[in-house]
Amino acid sequence: MTAYRLSSGGLLDRSKVLSFTFDGRPLRGFAGDTLASALLANDQLLVGRSFKYHRPRGIVSAGPSEPNALMTLGSGARSDPNTKATVAELYAGLTAKSQNRWPSLGFDVGAVNGLLSPFLGAGFYYKTFMWPRQLWEMLYEPVIRRAAGLGRAVLERDPESYEKSWAFCDLLIVGGGPAGLMAALTAGRAGLRVILADEDFRLGGSLLGETETIDGSPAPAFAERVVAELLSLDNVTLLPRTTVFGWYDDNVFGAVERVQKHVAEPSATLPTERVWRIAAKRALLATGAEERPLVFGGNDCPGVMMASAIGTYAQRYGVSAGKSVAIFTSGSSGYRTARGLVARGVTVSTIVDSRPEATEAAPDGVRVIRSGAIVDTKGRKRLSGIVIERSGFEELIACDALGMSGGWSPVIHLACQRGARPVWSEDLKAFSAPDVGGGLRVVGSANGVYTLSGCLRDGAEKATTIAVELGFNAAEASLPVIENEAEPSFAALWYVPGAKSKAFVDFQNDVHARDLGLALREGFGHVEHAKRYTTSGMATDQGKLSNVNAVGILAGMRGVSPAEVGTTTFRPFYTPVSFGALAGTSRDGHATPTRKSPLHEWARKNGATFVDSGLWFRSAWFPRAGEKTWRESVDREVLNVRANVGLCDVATLGKIEVFGADAAEFLNRLYCNPMLKLPVGKARYGLMLREDGFVFDDGTVSRLAEDQFFVTTTTAMAGAVMSHMDYCAQVLWPDLKVRFCSVSDQWAQMAIAGPKARDVLQQLIDEDISEAVFPFLAARSMVLRGGINARLFRISFSGELAFELAVPAGYGEAVAEQIMEAGRAHGICAYGVEALNVLRLEKGHLTHAEFDGRVTPDDAGLGRMVSAQKPDFIGKHLSARYGLTAADRMQLVGLKPVDRDKDMRAGAHLLKEGMKPSTLNDQGWVSSAGYSPVLGHHIALAFLKSGRERYGEKIVVWDKLRDHEMIAEVCDPAFVDPENKKLKA
Amino acid sequence: MVRDYNNRHALDQKLRGTPKPANADHLEVGHWQAIATVLASVGLEAAVERALSSTPDLSLRYCGPGEWLVVSGVDTPLGLMRRLDMLCGTQAHVVDQSDGRVLMRLSGPSARQILAKGIGVDLHPSAFALGGSTNVLCGHIAVNLSRIGEDVFELIVSRSFAESLFEDLMTMGRPFDLSAAFSD
Repeated sequence: MTAYRLSSGGLLDRSKVLSFTFDGRPLRGFAGDTLASALLANDQLLVGRSFKYHRPRGIVSAGPSEPNALMTLGSGARSDPNTKATVAELYAGLTAKSQNRWPSLGFDVGAVNGLLSPFLGAGFYYKTFMWPRQLWEMLYEPVIRRAAGLGRAVLERDPESYEKSWAFCDLLIVGGGPAGLMAALTAGRAGLRVILADEDFRLGGSLLGETETIDGSPAPAFAERVVAELLSLDNVTLLPRTTVFGWYDDNVFGAVERVQKHVAEPSATLPTERVWRIAAKRALLATGAEERPLVFGGNDCPGVMMASAIGTYAQRYGVSAGKSVAIFTSGSSGYRTARGLVARGVTVSTIVDSRPEATEAAPDGVRVIRSGAIVDTKGRKRLSGIVIERSGFEELIACDALGMSGGWSPVIHLACQRGARPVWSEDLKAFSAPDVGGGLRVVGSANGVYTLSGCLRDGAEKATTIAVELGFNAAEASLPVIENEAEPSFAALWYVPGAKSKAFVDFQNDVHARDLGLALREGFGHVEHAKRYTTSGMATDQGKLSNVNAVGILAGMRGVSPAEVGTTTFRPFYTPVSFGALAGTSRDGHATPTRKSPLHEWARKNGATFVDSGLWFRSAWFPRAGEKTWRESVDREVLNVRANVGLCDVATLGKIEVFGADAAEFLNRLYCNPMLKLPVGKARYGLMLREDGFVFDDGTVSRLAEDQFFVTTTTAMAGAVMSHMDYCAQVLWPDLKVRFCSVSDQWAQMAIAGPKARDVLQQLIDEDISEAVFPFLAARSMVLRGGINARLFRISFSGELAFELAVPAGYGEAVAEQIMEAGRAHGICAYGVEALNVLRLEKGHLTHAEFDGRVTPDDAGLGRMVSAQKPDFIGKHLSARYGLTAADRMQLVGLKPVDRDKDMRAGAHLLKEGMKPSTLNDQGWVSSAGYSPVLGHHIALAFLKSGRERYGEKIVVWDKLRDHEMIAEVCDPAFVDPENKKLKA
Repeated sequence: MVRDYNNRHALDQKLRGTPKPANADHLEVGHWQAIATVLASVGLEAAVERALSSTPDLSLRYCGPGEWLVVSGVDTPLGLMRRLDMLCGTQAHVVDQSDGRVLMRLSGPSARQILAKGIGVDLHPSAFALGGSTNVLCGHIAVNLSRIGEDVFELIVSRSFAESLFEDLMTMGRPFDLSAAFSD
């Protein structure tokens, strides 16, 4: 045994023993442990294999910067790959598995890569597998990806639930260490709405591992007191287990809360994770500082850790990383850690100090080696000793744990996520946060303030400043008294020369110092190039530990200051966030809302088959007993409408009511055809253009009163037309006296079509709706028998004698049922959108399959609708462009198969007979196609070059997607009743 | 052929049946209410607002410049239309939306927390005061939100979206054991 649990101490509940397993081995920890601390307490030093060379790796840190201790937690669909053991809260029954090893962690076949490592330098794969080129995608990349990679995603459905929530506050504090807690206390007492988020499950940050005393009590007790007071304040929200991962526009922060990642049996009513979007008037970044590793030979041996992590494990978790600990430091922090360890009863044998002179005092009995350098480590799966070199003299010192302390770097990621670059500080020998304005300020160690008293003061002062800015009265904070305070200082040491084995810069990506040299030699010395070339700073930890050393080494190699090298770009997310959390509740049926028509229940009772149509759920057809295919149902519905009568739900159309003295003028400018003189009580087909002259949407306009119109749009464009009208009224013509609002949901609208439509409908209405009184295009409000206010329109999409009846939505179902009852004797049927489509196709009526944004009114055969008289309307001027009036534009035609058994589908292209398919030879395309039960063969609408002159011509319908070719005859697009006799019956 | 027509509520399928007891956090769906859009004629916005807000029994919900949803718990849809027509005369255009909108009232100690899951507007009383209303998105769905009590909010949603919104709200309220029923 080397690592072990200390007999006392730590912020643990030793009465609560938690059983868990690691790679199947049953182990025990205490409540308050992380997985990492519990593994260390069980002397499980080896926790993973490295990415590329499959080298044995151990726990390095005690927090979110951990590069090595990545594990898969849980099993089956509930497994979570790449979880950092150093932040995973231990719970009873937790199962953890190591990654990146086969067949086992102890014996890993992939470690053979280590033997081949002389050949596997940076860029090896790209250089070696260059040709034959096509093999890269087919063979090399898949094989390499399988061998590399971190963890494995689970392909099963995720059983967890997630949610999102907004939060608003005066002050968001990111980080619950000394500076963050003091700021929260100051702002909370002043009455600000404060949110304090910290990724740890216990608030306190570095206070939890401090050796100093505050106001006479241990630092963790101080943290506990502050947290207790914050909890008592209504205006303060504490979010432990919450990582603020991103800073976005308008001072909105993204954060993810692990609501029940730490429980064995998650509650079904709570989400596993919750994403917060926090809109903060002000924010403080109190994220602390990260200790830097040292780059020396053999620095990745399990047992080599961050010195501060060894300290934290001892102080907070009551775990000693070894029986005999050595410290390698370039500054005073190493001494401070050593003192803390000795005070906890951990044996510290040696401090290796890279500096020739140092004023710090080592604890009694600890040997100090000045101007010392570690050049190698001994042991493979566990550290057994370090090789120290001093002026050519090598010495082997036995130890089983080594702490590295290479100085400190402020954690400033969030401040640099919106484009501002970190600033090199010669004083701090670190990159510090840029000034990003008053919305986000940096405080405490993140601000380069490294003493405890300084952090507390900085937190209190910045919170006071913010309180005053926001108009609160902030009392002068009384700061606690700190004893035994240490002032950290260090010398920058990017690379320890004389390495006898690989000196790793980035543990997670297996990048060692020589890789950076190779990158520089090959012309990839720019920090962004070096990152891509060597992969340093990539993957899940994004170089939290390694980046600053990589920059320092590149600077040293190039002979410039780190300021000149700069850093790579900081982007969200600070730490990885699961896709589930980002999706929240927007999955499955909740991914988009579903809109239901007021006639939905009527359709359901009539046996409708439904289809998703945009957000709508529409009745597609109404199968009857004995019908085996959808076509049988649709053919029957079409024939019945043509012969008798049918009822169809058209409630999904957009409906807009337009009012005002200038309403007619407004519509006259919106539509390309005239609307000014539309008589009251009449409907008109209307065509709207875009400014560029192409068709935007079509629909009907009915004039209900002199200053009141009822406009319909297509289902798909309802929202777009409403926005367009808002834009026109507010921006283009603010002088027009016009008001409008959507009434799409107020009216249940149904089409009653077929030769017997009037006979059926008349039974519900007292007023005379005969051809003489209520002719084609009549539009009027009327009252149904029984007192329902309705609107009736004599309009037809099917080409039959048809009405559209609108009733208040709640009555839709009852009225539809009544019409079906009235129509029973006339053979009425319900018909769906499929039959509706066939009916309009037979009639040559158009939808957005035709109006696809490239079609002018003339292309669609509606050129005569475009008013030449109107002084202006949207699309008028650009309609006159040469390209839009050219004679060889593709024009709407009908197509009939020459061989009547052949079918056509939309999307096929048209070619002259004998011509090869090519863009140059393209003659047009099929926009809609279907089977016409009236004609007994397939028909299609198509756009064909100069099509209206080519009726009777035979043309090839070429459908490469389905590998289908046939000959069709070009014809008039009105296949049925081109004289409109039925329409006006 | 004369008959009485039934008016079916958009959430009839969801909520019909024996009423369950209301929990602390409760979603009450208005079974009968009259709702109308009032569009002030251009230039007469202030006059219309004065006329509407000085009338008892009418609750005004702001939708945009010169546009309100007017809610009445005492009128029939037709009655509300008549009353508004008389009140506004030629100063405004009135449109019945009683069938086109569904009103849901969320009340309880967790109401704000529930709504915060879908609505990106600060609902703290200092930012969204009693009597305030606004058009917002709740998740993907446009609603008019108003605060009618310290912990009581009303959402008015287009009928076709009502079922989706209802399901979303129930999901948002799951940790708080949100109950739901039609109003009496």
